[in-house]
Amino acid sequence: MIDTPHKIDSFFIFNSNFGPKEGDELKRILFFYPNQINTDVRKTQVGLCEAIVRFMTTFSSEPCEALQTQSKRYIFFQPEKNFWMVLVIRIPYATKLSGDSKDVVEPSIMQDFMVSSYKTFRMFVGLFKDIPPEDTYGICEQFFNPYITSIDVSNDLSNIIQGINYLPLEKNSFFKVICFIDLLQVNYPQFKCISFVYNDQLIWNGLCKDDMLTLYQYLVHSLLPKQVEKEIQGGAVTAAERHGRFISPPEGIHSDEDLKKLNKVYLRREDDNETKQYYLVIYRTLSATVSFTVDVDTHVDFATFRALDTFIGPQLSTIASSIGEQCTIHALQNAQIASPDHKFLYFNKLNLAFKTSTPSNCMTPSAAVKPEVLNIIAEIHQDHKSLGKYGEIIIKTPDEYWITGKSSNDREFYVVMQKNANLKEIADEVKRICEMQMKGIFFYPM
Amino acid sequence: MASTSKDVPTSPSGHDNTDDDLEPGASYDSILNPTDSFEEFATEMNTSLERSRDLTKKSSTISEIQSEIGECSKELKETKSSDNLQNKDEAISASTSNSNLDENGEDTDNEDDYLKSPELVNKEKHVFILSSAGKPIYSRYGNEDKLAGVCGVIQALVSVVEEQNRDILRSIITKDCKAVFLVKGPLILVAVSKSNESETQLVLQLTYAFNQIVSVLTLTQLNRIFEQRRNYDLRRLLSGAERLIDNLLIFMEKDPAFLLGAVRCLPLPEKVRENITNAIISTCHKIRDLVFAILIAGNQLITLVRMKKYTLHPSDIHLLFNLVRSSESFKTAESWTPICLPKFDATGFLHGHVSYISEDCQACLLLLTVQRDAFYPLSQAKHTISDKLRRSNCLTAINDALNRSKDLPTTNPLKHIGIPEIRHFMYKCKSTAQLFTSDPICLDRLQDYRQRHKEGGDVVKKKVEKLSDIDYVRNYREFCSKMHCACSPAKLIFRSNSLDTVLAWITNGFELYVTFDPLMEKDQAIRAVDRLLRWIKNEEKRIFIMNAPTF
Repeated sequence: MIDTPHKIDSFFIFNSNFGPKEGDELKRILFFYPNQINTDVRKTQVGLCEAIVRFMTTFSSEPCEALQTQSKRYIFFQPEKNFWMVLVIRIPYATKLSGDSKDVVEPSIMQDFMVSSYKTFRMFVGLFKDIPPEDTYGICEQFFNPYITSIDVSNDLSNIIQGINYLPLEKNSFFKVICFIDLLQVNYPQFKCISFVYNDQLIWNGLCKDDMLTLYQYLVHSLLPKQVEKEIQGGAVTAAERHGRFISPPEGIHSDEDLKKLNKVYLRREDDNETKQYYLVIYRTLSATVSFTVDVDTHVDFATFRALDTFIGPQLSTIASSIGEQCTIHALQNAQIASPDHKFLYFNKLNLAFKTSTPSNCMTPSAAVKPEVLNIIAEIHQDHKSLGKYGEIIIKTPDEYWITGKSSNDREFYVVMQKNANLKEIADEVKRICEMQMKGIFFYPM
Repeated sequence: MASTSKDVPTSPSGHDNTDDDLEPGASYDSILNPTDSFEEFATEMNTSLERSRDLTKKSSTISEIQSEIGECSKELKETKSSDNLQNKDEAISASTSNSNLDENGEDTDNEDDYLKSPELVNKEKHVFILSSAGKPIYSRYGNEDKLAGVCGVIQALVSVVEEQNRDILRSIITKDCKAVFLVKGPLILVAVSKSNESETQLVLQLTYAFNQIVSVLTLTQLNRIFEQRRNYDLRRLLSGAERLIDNLLIFMEKDPAFLLGAVRCLPLPEKVRENITNAIISTCHKIRDLVFAILIAGNQLITLVRMKKYTLHPSDIHLLFNLVRSSESFKTAESWTPICLPKFDATGFLHGHVSYISEDCQACLLLLTVQRDAFYPLSQAKHTISDKLRRSNCLTAINDALNRSKDLPTTNPLKHIGIPEIRHFMYKCKSTAQLFTSDPICLDRLQDYRQRHKEGGDVVKKKVEKLSDIDYVRNYREFCSKMHCACSPAKLIFRSNSLDTVLAWITNGFELYVTFDPLMEKDQAIRAVDRLLRWIKNEEKRIFIMNAPTF
């Protein structure tokens, strides 16, 4: 596991319009990490970035994306006009990664990290521009400081692409989930179900694609791990847990008082065409987690929540245990076809579906892939043009890693293996893996 | 080394039958110094801040040669250096009055507008060269005077990163554009490009541009000028060199020789090349100060005869190609010109006798010496060589090769090899730093490209009809940069999509890039490559210079 604070040289957010006059430079800096950096250094860092951004506007209408110096890379992101987020990581320029390459994180992973930090911010707090300028500093501090120190980024295959891990279910179980959601929404029309997650896999989604990814990541990377930890510490599953409980707000809902602690979020639901503010309610039984939105204008009372609890609890626990049985069977099957000598990654851009040989959240060190290899995969993934709608690329590195990338419509499939073989043998092997792991998904060329 | 055989994607039958262990084109002796420009790049980019500022002075190869010859080297050196000083003093005193005028700062306000003016907007690649004090020296497009503002900004960015962050500014990237910075000695070079060239490739181009300046001034003079006057306006010493840089930049965009750090040879029958070489050796072996005799035609090397111990670096030859191609005056008269070859010896000038071999043959002979007053003996030697070549019918052979006469196997190699699914290929023999492509750009097409460039250099979305060599090479850039990527290099890339299939492959001995039809099967591609390599091996004596003659 890599500790993020060590990776990140600094991270800051600025808006040049916040302190347009000379002498007001400090006002432009909305947030700066690490905190102990003195103000002079902050000013020069931000000043440099402002100059870089301006310099590039004379040549390109596209916003600045990165600045590379001999020892560092500055990754730029302008989520809203004039608001810039800059993440600085230590990565040497054009030198072979060797020896201590464990300490280097693939820049595209860090870029994704920054973008999702903003999206999470936008989900819970809203747009930068809607926050009164004088409050921005405090709000940013409150949100980003813990965010940066809590998230850890590893050089794992599953981090190269941000996707959603879907749980494939057989028809009957899937319909049970759908019926449950429909029944619930008919009985409690003010509650809209927006996601159904089992363990860390998504079964049902009621949000637009982008927001789903953000909510999914929040659940899987932040909220659920804490819950699981609590459950483990609590020893055997208590009766209450078997019947389910509200986990957002974190302490549950036991009185009218607790309702004030409900999280408010900005989300766009699948059928809507605008982002609105909602209460976010999350309920969990066994390994199943269901999220709801409630319009902020709705009057919420404790009685409704208690009724909801008695309605969901028993039904969800039945569904959860039947899904659990299926998962066990799946896991057994997967274990049979999994092989340690290759790693693969599948991604479908249309629904963000994502499947990988290294289970996400897996803490085994063997899951880490060499940064050189990740770098190559990240490059293929970002370079949409070179493969086009249908294409295949096979790359061999000096240390006998073979990286294969296939693209077919909006689906991508990558395989990494390390072996002494020739081009044809590798291509055949990849074809075999593809057929086995991705049954029914058509890739052309074969 | 046990893995080398497996390393090869070709069927095992492929290489074992060949009579020789060496890769096609490889020989034990090379006229060129095969240092890989990518490795060089990597070491250079590793240099710390302190070292990059001060270009370490190696011992001068030229004075080494002079002392070996033993004659009058001392006197020679003295006169030369005092000469330089004088010139420079005049130049500097002239500049003092001028530079004050330049600094009225009026232009800076309009600078943004100027960059957006039709002259400059939407260019595929800008190149700016400025002094470390921020004074404009060269701009590929537009007028440097009006770019004082942008040069000031560049200088400020470079120095902020350097002084406040103790770091070196390397590049800035937007979605469609890359800006690459190179600080070399007293100069700052910047490329802002919307092309598909990688950062490394752009840095190499900037290094070439820097070397082009050194080739006109020598590094010693360049450093000394700025040591004495940081604010010096270098343009006054570089008049004429702008055109060289202009041409060099165009040349680099379309010739794969730069991409691979190799030199292309004019394909000639082995016997003809031998005759030419012998004619040069027999005429020149008595001229003691002669370091190199080089015969070139159409950016291709015909032969190179050298003083024992000394070889030329491909990039120095590229500068010579560029010089010859850019100077119309060589065509009309024999010229005597000082030339600094930066990789050979950046600190001093060689003196070159440059002339076309005859009116009916577009081959150009360069005789490079350390002797500054050897014009007449060299001129005489040239005429003797020219006569010998005419008598032995070598001129006709050169002309046939230049005109790409239909009977030659190398004129249309793909047809000759008979593998219809190969559309284009490019091969570099690493040990000799020479390359061969299936469709070398002929001179008139090159002229076209230059013409087009003069008019535009704009970003254009053109419809692809029949791809030319230039288009294929443009395509290979991405492969080349992946193969040589400093942090994650590759040995083999096979990519197929709906447009084409490309195979890029590097072994210890060669680099090969092949474009096939789309959606090519792997085993079919492997077989085709196998046949291609065998053909190159068969023709190697014609397409490559396989020996390294000396005087």
